[in-house]
Amino acid sequence: MYQWLDDRLSIGKLYAKAFRKAFPVHHSFFLGEITLFSFVTLVLTGIFLTLNYEPSIRPVSGSLSGGQEVPAAYYSILYIDSLPFGAVIRSLHHWAAHIMIAAAFLHMLRIHLTGAYKNPRELNWIVGVFLLVLAIITAFTGYALPFDNYALTATKIGYEIGAAAPWVGKLLSNILFAGELSPTNTQTIPRLFPIHVLWLPLALMGLIGAHLAIMIKQKHTQPKYAEKVAPGKIVGVPLFPQQAAMMGILFLVYIAVTTFIAGAFLAHPVQAFGPPTANTPPVKPDWYFMWIYGILQIIPANWRFEFLGATFGPQFWGGILVPTVIILGALAIPFLDYSKEKQRYLELPSQHPFRTSFVVGMLMFYIMSTLAGYKVDLGLSNGLLWVLVFIVPIVTGVVCYIIMKAIYGKDWNQEPEIKLIGKGSAADD
Amino acid sequence: MADHEATAHHHEHHPEDPQAHATRRAILQAAIGVSAGAAVLSTLWVGAGLVPREEKIPSKEPVAVGDTLVFATGPKADQEITLDDLRAAQRERIPFIIAFPKSPENVVKKDLITNTIMVILADPAKMSPETRQYASPEGVLAYSAVCKHLGCTVSQWQNDTWLCPCHGGRYDIYNQAKVVGGPVPAPVPQLPVKVEGGKVVVAGEFLGKPGADV
Repeated sequence: MYQWLDDRLSIGKLYAKAFRKAFPVHHSFFLGEITLFSFVTLVLTGIFLTLNYEPSIRPVSGSLSGGQEVPAAYYSILYIDSLPFGAVIRSLHHWAAHIMIAAAFLHMLRIHLTGAYKNPRELNWIVGVFLLVLAIITAFTGYALPFDNYALTATKIGYEIGAAAPWVGKLLSNILFAGELSPTNTQTIPRLFPIHVLWLPLALMGLIGAHLAIMIKQKHTQPKYAEKVAPGKIVGVPLFPQQAAMMGILFLVYIAVTTFIAGAFLAHPVQAFGPPTANTPPVKPDWYFMWIYGILQIIPANWRFEFLGATFGPQFWGGILVPTVIILGALAIPFLDYSKEKQRYLELPSQHPFRTSFVVGMLMFYIMSTLAGYKVDLGLSNGLLWVLVFIVPIVTGVVCYIIMKAIYGKDWNQEPEIKLIGKGSAADD
Repeated sequence: MADHEATAHHHEHHPEDPQAHATRRAILQAAIGVSAGAAVLSTLWVGAGLVPREEKIPSKEPVAVGDTLVFATGPKADQEITLDDLRAAQRERIPFIIAFPKSPENVVKKDLITNTIMVILADPAKMSPETRQYASPEGVLAYSAVCKHLGCTVSQWQNDTWLCPCHGGRYDIYNQAKVVGGPVPAPVPQLPVKVEGGKVVVAGEFLGKPGADV
């Protein structure tokens, strides 16, 4: 059997070339894989969901809705929940999306803290930033599909934020949602459905393929010890069987843990929210939008002016400008922190106090603006939140820098590579 | 063989007229430019098909004078709101009712989101003079219920103010929905109403533009 296949497909050659590819080992390297596993889980659970979902809001009634006339999309969620493990699969889809975004963010954080975005990997950093943004957009387009009151209200806020983009916003929002987003717009779901289940996932697959292809072509960055063990060589385990076994085990653990979460914490109970009405329930966005939601709450309403027929108001500053600046900033990082020499090994965060402090400050900004999202619930004042959101991150960054310089200052001014080869042990082992 | 070499030679020593070369390049560049432009334009033309077509249907008409107000939600949905309903709501401490307008031709205009209206029976003595001017003598008061901030329905009542649950916008309904809290850019417009035959009837246009102010 093997001989037969080998004759035709030259498996032996493939094995020698591809399957023996060396994978450097570090536990933080699994974050990217967890992101990938989440995507696989989303596609698999998504297939199940699409096959049972009706992308329409024609009124239907049946025993599941207690005879009440509800939109077909909403009814099909009730139907999915009534299937064996249906609610768990739907919940798994929901949690896998959250985990994917979290893992992608942490993966990015790891790359940032270790300087792995530097020459020659700028391109893959850019692809990665787009992947994260695209993943978040894909998640957002899935929000409204259950077509319950909560989902529609939450999506409506996104609609209005999109519409706040100067000049083209209303047009773009209307194209994405096929007109005004309302409980009676029959075209919205048939438009969001293919965007969420077909076009954006295809785009994600393409970008993931590019991301992995570039990574294989450029090889991994490696932990510093690899330089001492075998300078200029990739030190790691072969893809097959060791790395494949690790990945397989990790995937199974991932599925087990997320399925447990999905079963224990059923996500988005549409039955409790009910079909859309003219009434609005109190909504909160998912955690990865909470920081934008927080910024929207603290920007004063009178920060607005008209320019050439477009309104620049708080929704624009908080909902569009701030995220855009942060995304552009992320894209610029490998060019601001450019190394002429090709980067082969991971850098220690402790040896780059400015970069590390910057990352810590940015994290504090996300945490504080997320906290601002709970302004009404916690009864916090605007003044306090402005201090928390804009002053605390800067102070955190500066304090972090001072502490790091004090602790690691001696090592910091020296060329780390020379020192490591010369002295060879303490800092990185 | 010799012939062939001679031809090759011939070519080398007599390059094309540079003028002709330049003309040919210009023509090719123009052709590429024109076709690229045509491709972009036609893509935009096709892409414009993604913009939904506005349908003129009666249920999407804006509020008009003479419309009655009906319940937007609940068991009485689509039924006309009467003064008795408002009195009952007041007794049961339901602060206000979310309503849609219904045209004299009996079409409930629920497909236009800015037609969502809040209607309340309030004490005329508490109202500012401008507010009272557009309320009915009985104290029936109506506003656009679409929050000026990001378009949620303002659907809560807290500490005697009208509260949008999405981002915490607060309105003072006794004073032309003046903004008293939250990130809201402007008051929601008041809708002049009167009571006719026990029913709430629209007596004028919205006093401003309803809908999120983005």
